[in-house]
Formats: sequence, structure tokens, C-alpha cells
Amino acid sequence: MSQSGQSSESVIEIRNLGKVYRDFWGRPKVKAVNALSLDVRKGEVFGLLGPNGSGKTTTLKLLLGLLFPSEGEIKILGKSAADVAKNERIGYLPEESYLYRFLNAYETLDFYGRLFDMPASVRKERSEKLLDQVKLAPQARHRQLKEYSKGMTRRIGVAQALINDPDLVMLDEPTSGLDPLGNRDMKDLILDLKKQGKTVLMCSHLLADVQDVCDRIAILYGGELKVMGRVDELLKAQDETQILSSKLTPEAIKEVEAVLKKHGANVLKVDQPTANLEDLFLKTVQESRDRPGHRTVKEGAKS
Amino acid sequence: MSFDAQPIVFSEALIAWLVTAGGLLLLILGVSFLSALSQGNSGLKMFSSEAGGVLSDLISLSPRRIWALSKLTFIEAYRRKALAVFVVFALLFMFAGWFMGGGDGDITNDQVKVYVSFVLRAISWLTLPMALVLSSFGIPEDIRVRSLHTVVTKPARRLEIVIGRVLGFALIGTLVLSVMSVVGWIWIVREIPAKAQEMLVCRVPVKGDLTFIDRNGVPAEKGINTGDIVDFRSYIEGATKARAIWTFSGVGENSLDAEGNLNLENQFFAFRSYKGDMNHQLLYDFQFRNPEKKISFTTNPMEMGEFRGVRNKISRKLERPGDEKTYDLIKDFVTSKGTLTVEVSCIDREQYLGMARPDLFIRLPDRSFAAGYFKAVLGIELMMILVILISVCSSTFLKGPIAALLTFVLLILGGEDSHKFMDQLVTGRSKENIEVLDQQVKQLEAAYVEAMKMPDGDQKEAVVQAAKKQLQINRNKLQTIKDGFKGGGFFESIYRIYTHMNDTTELPEGNPAMTIMVKVDDRLTGFLWLCKQIIPRLATFNNMSEYVANGFDVPWDSALLPCVLITLGYLLPCILLGYFALRVRELESK
Ligand SMILES: Nc1ncnc2c1ncn2[C@@H]1O[C@H](COP(=O)(O)OP(=O)(O)OP(=O)(O)O)[C@@H](O)[C@H]1O
Ligand SMILES: [Mg+2]
Repeated sequence: MSQSGQSSESVIEIRNLGKVYRDFWGRPKVKAVNALSLDVRKGEVFGLLGPNGSGKTTTLKLLLGLLFPSEGEIKILGKSAADVAKNERIGYLPEESYLYRFLNAYETLDFYGRLFDMPASVRKERSEKLLDQVKLAPQARHRQLKEYSKGMTRRIGVAQALINDPDLVMLDEPTSGLDPLGNRDMKDLILDLKKQGKTVLMCSHLLADVQDVCDRIAILYGGELKVMGRVDELLKAQDETQILSSKLTPEAIKEVEAVLKKHGANVLKVDQPTANLEDLFLKTVQESRDRPGHRTVKEGAKS
Repeated sequence: MSFDAQPIVFSEALIAWLVTAGGLLLLILGVSFLSALSQGNSGLKMFSSEAGGVLSDLISLSPRRIWALSKLTFIEAYRRKALAVFVVFALLFMFAGWFMGGGDGDITNDQVKVYVSFVLRAISWLTLPMALVLSSFGIPEDIRVRSLHTVVTKPARRLEIVIGRVLGFALIGTLVLSVMSVVGWIWIVREIPAKAQEMLVCRVPVKGDLTFIDRNGVPAEKGINTGDIVDFRSYIEGATKARAIWTFSGVGENSLDAEGNLNLENQFFAFRSYKGDMNHQLLYDFQFRNPEKKISFTTNPMEMGEFRGVRNKISRKLERPGDEKTYDLIKDFVTSKGTLTVEVSCIDREQYLGMARPDLFIRLPDRSFAAGYFKAVLGIELMMILVILISVCSSTFLKGPIAALLTFVLLILGGEDSHKFMDQLVTGRSKENIEVLDQQVKQLEAAYVEAMKMPDGDQKEAVVQAAKKQLQINRNKLQTIKDGFKGGGFFESIYRIYTHMNDTTELPEGNPAMTIMVKVDDRLTGFLWLCKQIIPRLATFNNMSEYVANGFDVPWDSALLPCVLITLGYLLPCILLGYFALRVRELESK
């Protein structure tokens, strides 16, 4: 634990949490979260994974006091979820950016800054800094949010969540709607937050996102906790060894296989390693930007 | 004007408010406590932590956050083109002149009245619906598109959200109202021809108390009814001992105009039992009387001004030709307590002069038209704030259209007629009441007549006034009970409709089911009482424009103050209720 800089102090404690959505007449409709218990520790990046409808967003809303739990208990930053005072130190990025569509970027940040009782000078300074940090195009900053593209809305959403320099940041699918560059920026931002000693709780069902940034993850399915643990440990396949070398001829491969057989190992797959799609895309975009008009991807690579 | 607004009694209003608001608060607390109790220990814990949360919300209110939310509301309305209401307003005024034009300057009092009430009505009919729609859709829309999620996950208290919203809508409304009222004022002043400009005034009346003496010289509470259904005015018969007696208080040197005259203005009505003299209208005279010094002075006969009113300038020095004895109106006729008694008699035989309390008054120096006009605008503003309070409050637990509808219905029910109806239903409960009250009224009538026969003096006045007031109260009560008792309460009237039973027929005796039914109805009346208390009385607000349209100043204690108090009375309960509603609900639209 000490290697990633987190302590054992819990920022969020969830005990036996349950949430049943009810209809207008109070009849139960959906059991969205069921007997969930988990801790998020100070200074770690915690990922909440799961397929669509597995209760990730519901859990976040319960933590924030937007929904009331049907059963169980929540302690967040040492306070109860219903206590508004806890919000002073929390930043929240909703699933979709539910911001005021008739405000522009500056007005939006100014508005949320006021809600933290921040004086005007501080608001101005922080807005400027955050807008740069989330890389919102300067020419877009004076336009109303209703004219924003999805990615731009996402960026201003993130800026809004960080306006109070929170200790605990909750991000609900932070990378949705972002282009691969934005995706990378977002991951950098999360890692940066971690470096500053903040705790991050993020939801996602994109494993690739999570893999890169999270220290620990929990996988929900149907509102129940299925897996929880450190990412590197979870992803380490226990009974396989991968050997990577420069390109070999078929004869050489046969020889290597023979050596392996001698040691009682089965060859499962012989393959050239490929960069994952995201890497390829990034490389292409990076190179096209550096050398406009140049095609980096060879024909053969398409197949 | 055919209404006579009484000054509000502050202490009574305050008590009524405390009872209602306090009752509601206790009800809410009680219900939530009981429901917490029913959930056992955890429920109680929740209740106490909720209570703690409410307290901490109350102390941590931040003006900056409230202002942020108000500003947001303002910008929202502005950017959503709420100010398009000005276009409607402009259109209305561009063409209104065509239909109301006095043109060549031959304009009467009534026409001025039309101009003024058109403008005030147009303003209120544009601003009130705008305020209603904006404020009942604000919060529900915020919840529906979930932008409220980003607000409540900041340290913004739910209470601040409600206050901020109310303030923001009030700001927008005030802006619209101020622009419209200034434009409306300029429009009135410009549309009304120069010759008629002097009709644009605010008369400041001093009103008195009115009692009568009947044709035989016996004191009476009212004059006679000439067959009109509406008995707002009553009549005195000409050339008999019948008198209408006004007592004005607070009269002194400063009741006189610059030339030292007392301006007595009246608008009496005439009821003729024959055609009479074609060349003059009915004649009346004034008699000033000082009960302390036992002196009186009768003026010359004067001609009444039917439908227009007359202003009689009474010179301070009272003298009659052929009588060298002169009096000073102020020194001789104003009593040591500052009251002036004016008796009116009708001179024409077998003709009748009709009047009500507001029909004769001392006219103090006029105020400018603008003074009264902008007071009426203030009345619209107060009503608008009331509308905003109610619709913001209901929109915290209802969807937008339903909140708007609820507010609208409350406004309709706030009319004077429905309030009278509710009064009747609420007071008309048991049969015993009627008989007891009937007896009381008879006694009070006797006491009143007795009091009028007392020797003149301070004491008499006090006793008469007290007796009169008590009589009035009991009579009104009796009347409302009699009206309201007809047909019984909720279940009884259903039963009567179902069995085709006349509302004067007695219910069958000795049937326990009937007894239970009547008892249950009684309980329901308590609920109805609460409803009646909750529904705002809006006639007060509408009266304001009426004063101005009729060329009067808006009186403080019987018009402006009640409106201020009504709006203030709703302020706290609405904001608190909205706050509780937002607190206990999950902010997901269902
Ligand atoms: N307001 C609501 N009313 C009723 N049911 C709801 C509501 N919100 C969510 N649910 C239900 O609760 C369950 C969990 O939903 P939730 O939004 O938490 O999923 P999620 O894990 O965030 O999914 P996604 O990855 O698609 O965002 C789903 O079955 C959903 O249908
Ligand atoms: Mg989700």
C-alpha cells in the first residue's frame, strides 16, 4: 500500500447499502443496489465497474445524498450522506453534464464558485486555471453551454467538479463522449489529482480506462459486488507467463517450443504483440498532427 | 366605489396568522414525529438528525449563495425570452388608444376611470401570469433536467435554493412591472387631454362613522331600504326628522384648505317617489353640532350632484344672513377630542337621499396622481410576490403544470365571493348557535337604542360606538350562520341530494347514523376552516386599483397595510414548506 501513497484511512465507508427504486405509489420497481459494502481509502483512485444498469450511478447518488438509501449506512468524509456540509470538500461530475445550458463557461464556473461562498477574485482565478486545465477551447468559453459539443460539455463538467479544489472527487464515467486525446487528458488529470493526494472515486464500464488509472476496483453486477481488489493483482493472470522477443523465424519458434516442452510448459499462443487500438489511434493522430498529409498506417496494417 | 374597506386590526390579524401558521407547523412536526416513532428507534434517530440538519441549515445561510441562485434565476428567465411579455404589452398600448380615445378633449370622470383601470389591469394581467408560469416551472424543470443535482451536491442548502428562486423571480417580476408601470403612467398622462388633466388627482379623504336617525327622530343603525337588493347604501326621507350623522375624528386646522375652507365632498344617491322639480336636483343641508357646547349650525340648502358628486366648500366662518351670531367651524364645532359631527338631511318632501359611509368625506389637499398610481402598482407587486411564493412553494413537491394549476386555483378561490361562501360554511355549524345568537342580537339592538337615548356627552359617544360595533359583529355572524347552515355539512348535503330532501326539512330524528353523520361533518368543518385560512384573500389587492381609478389616494391602513401583511404572512410559511418539501424528497423526477 505504501508504494502508491495511500493510507488506510477510509474516506468512504459503505455498509450493507441497499436501494430500491419505487414508483409513485411506493411499490418497489427495481433493486438497483443490494447489500453493498466497501471502503475507499484516502489518496487512492477507486474504480467502480460494471455493465450498464449495474448500479454504479445509483451508488454515487446515494453517496452524495441525492437519493436516500433503503437500507444500510454511509459515511463519507466522516459525515452522513445527508449532511450538506460534506459537499464543501467534494467534487462531483454527473453521468451526463447536467449544467445550466443558458450560461457560458465563465458564468457556469462563477455560479458554482459562489455556491462555495468563494470571493470574486478567487472565483475568477480558479475558473481561468480550470478552463485551461480541462483544455476547453478559449473561443468557446463565452458561448452558452447549449451550443457545446458533448466533449466540450464534459470538459466544463469536470472543471465545475474541481472548482472547490476538492479532497474527494467523484466522477461518473469521466471519459464518456471524449475523443481519444481527451481521454488521455482525462486520465492524466486523474493521475494528477492522485499525485496531489486527492481521493478519486470513478465509475466506468470501460476496462481500458480503469486499468490505466485505478489503484483498486470493484465490479458490480446487478447491484451486487462481485469482485474487489487491487488492479495489478486482479489483472495478473496467475498461471501464464508471457515472453516477448524480437521477431523469430518459424524454425526458431519450433526450437523454442521444444525447449518449453522440456520444462513441461504448454504453448498456448504464438503471436506478434500488437499495440492496443487506443495506442494505434493515438500514434496516428499524433503523427498526423506533427506531419500533416503524411500517412503513417501501412495498407497491410488494416487487415 | 361600492365597497367600504375597513382598517385592518393588526393584533387580530397577527393572532389569526399565528394560529394558522403555528397550527400548520405543529401538524407537520406532529405527523413526521409520529411516523418516525412508528419506525422505532432508528426512526427517532433519523428524526433527531433531521431536526439537527434543519437547524444547521438555518444558521449556515449564505447571502452569496442565495444571490448566486437568484442571479441564475434571473439570467434563466432573461435568456429564455421571458421578457417577450413586453411585446404583448407594447402591442396592447399601440392600439388601445383607438378604442378608448376621448379625442377632442371632451372627457368625463368615467372616461378617466376607464383609462386608469385599463392600464392597471393590463399590467397586472400580464405580470401575474408571467410570474406564475415562470415560478411554477423553475424548480421542476431544474429537477427534470437534473441541473439541480449539480447545485445540491455543492454546499447550497435546500433553504437557500427556495429563497434564491423566490428572490430571483421577484426581481424579474419587479423589473417587468417597473418598466410597464412607468410606460403606463406616461401613456395615461399623454392620452388624457389637457382639459381633463385636473381629473387626474388623488383625493385624500377623511372618512367618518355613519349612524342614522329615522323619520320619527329615533336613533337607528341604518336608514331605510328603497327596495334595492344590495343594501350597501340606505336612504333618509326628505322633510322628516330623518338624518344621516357622520362623525369625523382627528379634525383640526390642518383639515382646512389653503383658503381656510372645509371641503366636504359627497356622492349621494337619489330615490324619487315622484318626478319633482325639473330644474333642480334634490336638496340637502348640513347641520354641524357640538354635543359638548350644545350648539348647532345649519347651512343653506345645497343641490346634490347625481352620479358626479359635489364638493362643498364650507367657509370656516359660519354665518347666516339675518342672523348676526357667527361661529368658527373649528373652534366651535370640533370637540375637545377632535371630532366633528355633521348631520345630513334631505329637504325635498317624499324624496329620498341614499348614502353609505364612504359617500361623505372631508377632502384634504389632493396628492399627485402619480402618488396613488404607484401605490396601486405596489399593490400589484405585492400580489405578484404572493403568487411567486405560492407557486415556488408548490413547485417543490409538484410538477410544473400542476403547481401552476394549483396556484391558479388558489387565486380563483381567493376572490371575495368564495371567501364569503367559505365563511358561511365554516361558521354555519350547529342549530344552538343560531338561537343563542338570535337572542344576543335582540339584546344588543335594545342596548344600542338605549345608548342613543343617553344625554349627550363623552360617555354617550363611547357607549354608542361600543354597542354599535358589538351589534354589527353579532349580526354578521348570525347572517353567515343562517346562510351557511342551509343543507348541513359535506355528508349531510350529499344525503339530502341523494334523498331529494329539501334543505329546510329536518333530518329524521333518533337515527344514530344521522347523528354520526352530523358529527363527522362538524369535524370536517375544522378542515374547511384551515383551508379558508390558507387561501389568500385577494380582494384587498384588487381594491387598490379601484381607489386610484376612482380618483382616490390608496389608504394605508385599509388597503396598503393589509396587502403588505398578507404577503408577509405567506412569506415564511411558503419558504419553510418549500424547504421541507425539497429536503424530504429525492431529486429524481418521478
Ligand atoms: N430514477 C430511477 N427510477 C427507477 N429506476 C432507476 C432509476 N435510475 C436507475 N434506475 C435503475 O437502477 C438500476 C441501476 O441503474 P444505474 O443508473 O445505477 O446503473 P449504472 O451502473 O450507472 O449504468 P450505466 O453504466 O448505464 O450508467 C437500473 O436497472 C436502472 O434501470
Ligand atoms: Mg451510470
